[in-house]
Amino acid sequence: MWHRAFTVSPDTPLTELIISFGANVEASGGVCGVKRHADARARGVRRIQVEPHLSVTGACSAQWVPIRPKTDPAFLFAMVHVALHEADRSALDIAFLKARTSSPYLVAPNGFYLRDKKTGKPLVWDLIAKKAVPFDRPRIDPALEGAFEVSGRETGPDDEFWDHRNATCRPAFDHLLTHMCTYTPEWAAAICDVPADTIRSVATRFLDHAHIGETIEIDGVTLPFRPVAISLGKTVNNGWGGYECCWARTLLACLVGGLEVPGGTLGTTVRLNRPADNRWSSVTPGPDGFMHYPMNPTAKGEWMASPASRHAHQTLVPLAANSPWSQALGPTHLAWMMQKQGLDHLPEPTPPDVWFVYRTNPAISFWDTGAVSDVMADFPFTVCFAYTHDETNHTADILLPECTDLEGLQLIRIGGSKYVEQFWNHQGFALRDPATKPQGEARDFTWIATQLARRTGLLEAYNAAINKGAAGVRLFGEGYDFSLRTDKEHGIEDIWDAVCRAASAEITDGADTQGLDYFREHGFRTRAFSVLQWYLYPALVEQGLRFELPYQERLLRIGRELGARLHEQGITWWDDQLKEYEPLPRWQDLPGKWERALSQHFDVSIADYPFWLLTARSMQYAWGANAGLQMIHEVADNIAGHGGIIMNPAAAQKLGLAEGDVVEVSSPLGKTEGAIVLRQGIRPDTLLMIGQFDHWVTPFAKDLKAPSMNALTPMLLGLSDATGSGADLVKVALRRIGPSP
Amino acid sequence: MTRWAIVADLNLCVGCQTCTAACKHANATAPGVQWRKVLDFEAGVYPDVARAFIPVGCMHCEDPPCLDVCPTTATRKRDDGIVTIDYDLCIGCAYCAVACPYQARTRVDHRVAAYGGKAMRPEALREDPKRIGVAQKCTFCAGRIDFGRDNGLTPGIDPDATPACVSSCIASALHFGDLDDPDSTVSALLAGNRHFRMHEDLGTGPGFYYLWERGGADSAPLAPAPMVAEPAGLAAASPELQKSWDWRAAINFIAGGTGAGLFAATALAGLFAPFLWPAAVVALALVAAGLFFVWLEIGRPWRFINVYFHVRRSWMTREALAALAFFGFGAAGIWFLSPAAWLSAAAFGLVFLYCQAMILRAAKGIPAWRQAGIVPLIIATGLVEGVALFAILAVFVGSGPSMARGVLPVLIALVAARYGAWRRYRGALGRDGAPVHAFKALDRGLLTLCAPAQLAILALLAVAFVAPVFLSAGAALALATGWFFKFTLITRAAFNQGYGVARMPARGAGMSSPGIKPGWMVS
Repeated sequence: MWHRAFTVSPDTPLTELIISFGANVEASGGVCGVKRHADARARGVRRIQVEPHLSVTGACSAQWVPIRPKTDPAFLFAMVHVALHEADRSALDIAFLKARTSSPYLVAPNGFYLRDKKTGKPLVWDLIAKKAVPFDRPRIDPALEGAFEVSGRETGPDDEFWDHRNATCRPAFDHLLTHMCTYTPEWAAAICDVPADTIRSVATRFLDHAHIGETIEIDGVTLPFRPVAISLGKTVNNGWGGYECCWARTLLACLVGGLEVPGGTLGTTVRLNRPADNRWSSVTPGPDGFMHYPMNPTAKGEWMASPASRHAHQTLVPLAANSPWSQALGPTHLAWMMQKQGLDHLPEPTPPDVWFVYRTNPAISFWDTGAVSDVMADFPFTVCFAYTHDETNHTADILLPECTDLEGLQLIRIGGSKYVEQFWNHQGFALRDPATKPQGEARDFTWIATQLARRTGLLEAYNAAINKGAAGVRLFGEGYDFSLRTDKEHGIEDIWDAVCRAASAEITDGADTQGLDYFREHGFRTRAFSVLQWYLYPALVEQGLRFELPYQERLLRIGRELGARLHEQGITWWDDQLKEYEPLPRWQDLPGKWERALSQHFDVSIADYPFWLLTARSMQYAWGANAGLQMIHEVADNIAGHGGIIMNPAAAQKLGLAEGDVVEVSSPLGKTEGAIVLRQGIRPDTLLMIGQFDHWVTPFAKDLKAPSMNALTPMLLGLSDATGSGADLVKVALRRIGPSP
Repeated sequence: MTRWAIVADLNLCVGCQTCTAACKHANATAPGVQWRKVLDFEAGVYPDVARAFIPVGCMHCEDPPCLDVCPTTATRKRDDGIVTIDYDLCIGCAYCAVACPYQARTRVDHRVAAYGGKAMRPEALREDPKRIGVAQKCTFCAGRIDFGRDNGLTPGIDPDATPACVSSCIASALHFGDLDDPDSTVSALLAGNRHFRMHEDLGTGPGFYYLWERGGADSAPLAPAPMVAEPAGLAAASPELQKSWDWRAAINFIAGGTGAGLFAATALAGLFAPFLWPAAVVALALVAAGLFFVWLEIGRPWRFINVYFHVRRSWMTREALAALAFFGFGAAGIWFLSPAAWLSAAAFGLVFLYCQAMILRAAKGIPAWRQAGIVPLIIATGLVEGVALFAILAVFVGSGPSMARGVLPVLIALVAARYGAWRRYRGALGRDGAPVHAFKALDRGLLTLCAPAQLAILALLAVAFVAPVFLSAGAALALATGWFFKFTLITRAAFNQGYGVARMPARGAGMSSPGIKPGWMVS
């Protein structure tokens, strides 16, 4: 369920149908993503792009469905409705639902699973024995539909329980049927501004292409073949509505048995469930027959009342889990917001004593960049790795000029299936060897890190960390040990030679131990990576595990517990977020939620802001760190809309606006300016600004004067969902300033 | 034989511009110069819209218009189909730039650094002074191909022997190979997919193919791309006003045409009346002035002698040769007052005028110029201007007034003929279609060749039969409308071809859809 967009991918090499809700993979999937999808198109994949504007990815898709912003859950719910209430049951993978999901688990009157009193295991109704049995009893045929008189124990939050006798309970799947009954395509059509027939045809295509019952043999193992997948874009699966979309996306995959199987929807990488280097090993048994997931505790006495991070991810977001990566998944903007104004009943925020900035420029790449810049200007001591003068290092106390990737030395892991669109038959290591000499006083990262360690007295710990794998490879293993002496300062090449040797040993199981010279000569070194490992399904089957869908009892429980903990602490400002902890999410008026949050916080009439403003990833600017390069600017200009405001011609005509007119775009928070770029491929109620650049210091970039939505998008608690995420979305007004310059 | 070509699979192209960047790096082109680029097209109206990315550049045509027009033979075509430019021969006249219907050629007159001021180290290292002031364009990375062939590599297969744009393509959308090799990738792609070439109707035989739908190649020609006069957001693909030839070139057409016509009028009048030598001197001076101004415009003016290298094909070379003969016989005619010399000069003047008309006709990149009707129209305007100026000069010189009245019927006939030529030209242009802004430029203003102004001229000239004072006014107006027309034609109506897509591609399992020719209309 916690499959968010940046780790989820269609099985692009095998899939037949991709329904993409704003996932701009052609621009954000990197070189690999472009190649995978081009290959898929060459063999005739059908991608349907559902999004308010015709992005680069929409351009490369078989069909574009212009949907009203932030109404994607309604479209997805209607697809679920078609699958459950309009299609024949044979269109679903019933066997998968019974064996690999929570569908047959009986739900007790208070919304929690009915459990076997002795074992605590959730019960299912066995159609063969005609009685309730623990879910994992062999040779049963669990019911998916119907109501059954059963007895057992229902366990709620904080160990509260209810014992039921002959209570009427229905399987989770039956609850799903009832829950989705009213979400018809006709209902969704009015919300999404997409014809019901279009929604129905997309849903039908999804079911038709699922190839229920078909299998495929991979490396001698027979697996289900379900070549249909759904992708979600950043603005779709971030902020309010993200939960509904992630749930429906993953549920649809489950309904056709297309989750983590060939052709279907895949998680691709490990971020939270460790170990990070092997997806199969990350699959371990959790409670109730589901995969283990390291939620942050919410039980009394275990909950972290005093946050250990500035955005309180372990305190507020159980789903962010408790792993080294978790901090990146928490409500990042709360950290910035709280620097200005702490939240009631949380500890007073403090600035970092020393703030390191490595290859990022948050002063121009965040919401409400003005507020973020104000906060960072007050930080007592800032150290920036620097490549050019930029908006963040403008206020730094120390600049560390670092080599660019063409100037520095590093051994990088390659191949496997780590991260989206990385579907490789090999895995191993590649050397990034300097292609040119550093410019000016730039130094290799390794040199800088070593010097920092030495001069701060951390050399021993630093070397020990490298030995343990901080540079990407553990330097010792069975039959080899290339550990560095911890009491000594090592040179760049010495460090990487040891890493290369360890990498050679790792990849050859200790047979070879060649170092830097080998990699310099050969460039890379790989070994075979089984395609089977692209999919979690074999690991799940081996351990008899399930996905917790469609019904998410765990979520309901931790939500109740979290609510209790917060209220015990006197915290009520997270109450709206607590409502998201539903076992089956309901549609909520998401556009209205945005409008209400903006109008209430800024005390404005939202009718004065008639347009939705969105952004889209630029393929050429990528994350935007290259905005200061003339050549990138030049080639990016070949793609419509860079540096301007993309608008529908009919909408422009209504306002008397023409191509090139300079307009002011204002939200309740701020203003930006730019030239109108007319394109037919955008909804009349939507504006688009490609990239998000607010440069005012970075050479060259500062002169581009490109409009940016960053200064227009507020950081509001009311626009943060239960996972603490917000979306690049705001309502704006337009005012003509003048004609084309 | 070998015929190199590029095949772009529009189903696969994502518009990433990696090819654009790779080309810039491989060829060290100046900031703003892109030998290869990918255009961002849209066709249709919301919500039925298709978007496609179209790589463009030099098409290395079978029958390259740039090759025919080059006055110096700097542009050549190799046996393998690659169209090349010899930077040492090129004079930078930019005739090839206006002849190319793919906007593939540029001329950079000054060093430009990416960040202004001082060049970066890599820029300075790779600077090529030979490229300043001359035409430049995509070479199909001929150097890489030749290197590959010399070293046993296969262009289109081995990256080092393949154009940088193709080698860099991250979507495998671009392919390079030999069309004459039935086993090459490009031959197989063309055999297995439906495809078009850009501006196929111009007959240039581009060596650049666009695949738009899977399945066997269809021999039936595609219908021309639908013209859309004012498409939203397609400025980069729509026709643009050419910037290669400016007011200096316009002066050459104005002064050259008038001078040639004036000398012809003077010479013919000299058969019936005293030779009006001052008019002949003015005629020579006008032609010389026109050529002087156009000389000011070329990128490498001191190489102008190279213009005489291509008499077999270039109308610019022929114009230059005719000018030489015109000046020689003209000067002799004036000096020796020899009718034979006058008449010879007049004949070469008319050849010069014809060459000027053909220069425009051969400029395939400019729809308003390449119309067949441009030839009689330019000749008619030159003659009208010459006779009109002769009449004006005659009024003020010696026994001129009676001579002026004598040419009045001729002038009236020529004005009528010019109007007829204009109608024919404008009608054909309107039927064939042209850039919207070309029509707007041609039809705008009072001093046009359209009916009101021409009727006014004819009325003035008719009245001049009884009231000679109106002759000069009529002649001046005839002169002015002709000059205004040519100035407009060269500097305001000279929109280039722009780009067009015959079909928007099918993406994956999707359907193809109608293409678009943005910025064009029939009128």
